[in-house]
Amino acid sequence: MMTYLIRRVLFQGVPVLIGFTFLVFLMINFAPGDPVTHLRGVPDLDPRVIEDRKTQLGLDRPLVVRYFDWVGELLQGNLGRSFDSARRPVADLIRERLPVTILLSVSSIIIGWGIGIPVGIYSARRQYTLSDYSITFLAFVGVSVPNFFFGMVLLYIFALILNVLPAGGYFSPGEEFSFLGMLSYLVMPAFTLGLASIASITRYMRSSLLEVIRQDYLRTARAKGLRERVVIYKHALRNALIPILTLMGFMVPIIFSGAVITEQVFSWPGLGRMVIDATHQRNYPVMMGINLMFGILTFLGNVVADVAYAIADPRIRYD
Amino acid sequence: MKKLVLVLLIMALVLPATAAIAQEEPEKGGTFHRGMVISPRGMFNPILYTEAYDADVIVAVFDSLVTVNRELEIVPQIAESWEFSEDGRTLTFYLKEGVKFHDGVELTAEDVKYTFKTIMHPHYTGVRFGDFALVKGAEAYKEGEVDYVEGIEIIDDYTISFTTEEVYAPFLNEFTYGILPSHILEDVPVAELEAHDFNQNPIGAGPFKFVEFRPDQYVVLDGFEDYHQEGPYLDRMVYHILDDEARPVWLRQGRIDYVGISSEQVPMVEALDFVDVFDYEALSYTYICFNLRQERFDDPRIRQAVAYGYDRQTVKDIILDGYGVIANAPMPTASWAYTDEGINEYPFNPDRSIELMEEAGWERGADGVWEKDDMRMEFEFIYTEATRAQEQMMMLFQQNMEDIGFKVHLRPMEFSAAVDRIDAREFDAFTLGWSLGVDPDPYGIWHSTSMWNDAGWVNERSDELIETGRTTVDMDERAEIYAEWQRLMNEELPNVFLMYSVSIVAANERLKGIDDDPGAQGIFWTEILHKLWIPADRQ
Repeated sequence: MMTYLIRRVLFQGVPVLIGFTFLVFLMINFAPGDPVTHLRGVPDLDPRVIEDRKTQLGLDRPLVVRYFDWVGELLQGNLGRSFDSARRPVADLIRERLPVTILLSVSSIIIGWGIGIPVGIYSARRQYTLSDYSITFLAFVGVSVPNFFFGMVLLYIFALILNVLPAGGYFSPGEEFSFLGMLSYLVMPAFTLGLASIASITRYMRSSLLEVIRQDYLRTARAKGLRERVVIYKHALRNALIPILTLMGFMVPIIFSGAVITEQVFSWPGLGRMVIDATHQRNYPVMMGINLMFGILTFLGNVVADVAYAIADPRIRYD
Repeated sequence: MKKLVLVLLIMALVLPATAAIAQEEPEKGGTFHRGMVISPRGMFNPILYTEAYDADVIVAVFDSLVTVNRELEIVPQIAESWEFSEDGRTLTFYLKEGVKFHDGVELTAEDVKYTFKTIMHPHYTGVRFGDFALVKGAEAYKEGEVDYVEGIEIIDDYTISFTTEEVYAPFLNEFTYGILPSHILEDVPVAELEAHDFNQNPIGAGPFKFVEFRPDQYVVLDGFEDYHQEGPYLDRMVYHILDDEARPVWLRQGRIDYVGISSEQVPMVEALDFVDVFDYEALSYTYICFNLRQERFDDPRIRQAVAYGYDRQTVKDIILDGYGVIANAPMPTASWAYTDEGINEYPFNPDRSIELMEEAGWERGADGVWEKDDMRMEFEFIYTEATRAQEQMMMLFQQNMEDIGFKVHLRPMEFSAAVDRIDAREFDAFTLGWSLGVDPDPYGIWHSTSMWNDAGWVNERSDELIETGRTTVDMDERAEIYAEWQRLMNEELPNVFLMYSVSIVAANERLKGIDDDPGAQGIFWTEILHKLWIPADRQ
């Protein structure tokens, strides 16, 4: 297993990330506009300033050279400095925001899986009953409703009308950190971000379990006289879970890109706002840093999913 | 006679009393929570920042030699007074004594010199050099030929003078940048200033001390006890960064006392009985720019036809809910240089548009679109930032233009992409906005040599007026020059001017010391930050 993981990371992960970052680098540089465009707002600008700025930012050098510069810096653990006026290190910008983004993403994954899986099982076991129909319908709605809209509805109900939850944001200055306080800020964005996962996992879980329930070995298990509970949770579920685990790999990028929108709606101080801003400003180092991080997380999500296969299904072994 | 004395006596007793009621006594303490929708970058350095969100914090932390009052006039801050020399080229500032930085060190002429000399330094990375390029010897210093700036002279600890190569009327305005503490920064190489910790832990001589900045979350400032003017009365000022849609709810929950809002949010906020809503004309306007390098747009009558043909009144009344001021020349009504004398308002009049086109020798083709020689009035129209109001304005524009024989192909673009096209001069027409400075000098945007003259408009008379305007120190004379310039712009319409923006702000009624009849700077501004207060029973 260990050798598999090492091989996977070294011989698959590294080349994939190099190819991926190179593509991203080309794409963001080919997009129209450049990082000094925003200086346009300064009417008394000396024209030399724009050229000087481009030189300071290294934009006067060929594209490929700039990419390898970036890789070279990266190998020394350096993500470069942001192109905005404050020129702060990209690593600092990410470090400041990553924890709350992870807090939000992980909570929404827990919500998505924690609710999606039991509801999916429940729905499958009561196939074609009223409750199954209702759940299927709601799941369909859940997949269809856009994040930001659901977020606004929550804000409207719980912050504006009922006034029981803060209308977004995170801890204010001087406010003591407390678990309950954190929950009050977290609950709405986490549910907003988790909604789509709840819905899609419910649907996957339901159909996956229904697939398994019809199989011969389950009939055998029932024929042996096992209780339904044991049949479902011991024999059926383990097999039904395998396709769901595949989802885990896919989910990571979806959750993070969903976080971008959700964070905006809830004034959540994570990476999301920075991503949008960096894109508008053509802030290449910040865009590269974030994409690299998302790339790594997606890759890790897939590795974790593969490992989880092996745990769920003894037939799968990596040597 | 006795009666008169009695009346006078009563008046003398009553008047101060009524004045006292109107002018409540400020009370110390409390935290002022204000909202902003975009986070500062964290470049809290007055000579290096480029964005307005950083500036909002900087003006509270750093005081400058002079600042701007409600009427946009220059008034003292650290400088007690100033004077121009006979020839108008030397400007001498007399600093107040005993002004302290937040670390207790006194601010002197050395700090002033350090601040402005750094802007002229060859390794300076910011964007302000253009403002000081006219200082005597600045070019030579910037090019590295000499290691001093001839035009900056310290006379004593509290007196410093700046000399320019030629008379430059807006010069005084450039001294609204905050003063940096040279005792902290003078040994930092200028090239490294940009990445220095100081920018995230600034120390100035302003009414508020910097405490903490959490990107995308908040900025905390504390009142500075040794401030050189009255106050500050507030113990603390916190800037909260929040999503624009959430503003009414934060106001309602009392989490912020003050924030700018959109016109759609006005009804929601007005419904809160403890929040007041104010609006005022801001120093920015929107316009349509035609590419005058194309022969078909070159005749002023074409642009006049567009001005008459676009129903700007409807834009204002219906689309902007009344929050806008129709513009007919590029000078905000709040400016002392503004005039409405001899200004054509171009009221909505499609028939007049058609007359003008005919006068200019155009004829309508088979599909109703104007044609002349091999030219045709069909063009691409670039616009950015697709807000709902913007979309509606563009639809109306397209429709209005069709009615007068102009065929418009709307082209929404992202800002950076649009600017790329505009800078390459690869456009027919576009609409954008300008934010103007406090001084009315239009050189940067309108001189024929300026890099921002996107229209490519060249007019000798305009250049002449602009050049005379910036070398005339007498304000009344200057105003007269700009009045003539506005009439010229209004007639020639190198751009079709659309609308001055109106800013709307909401403030919790507990916030005192504000101007409830706001001018172009809103209900409070840099000059009066230290006078804001909150009543003790509402802190």
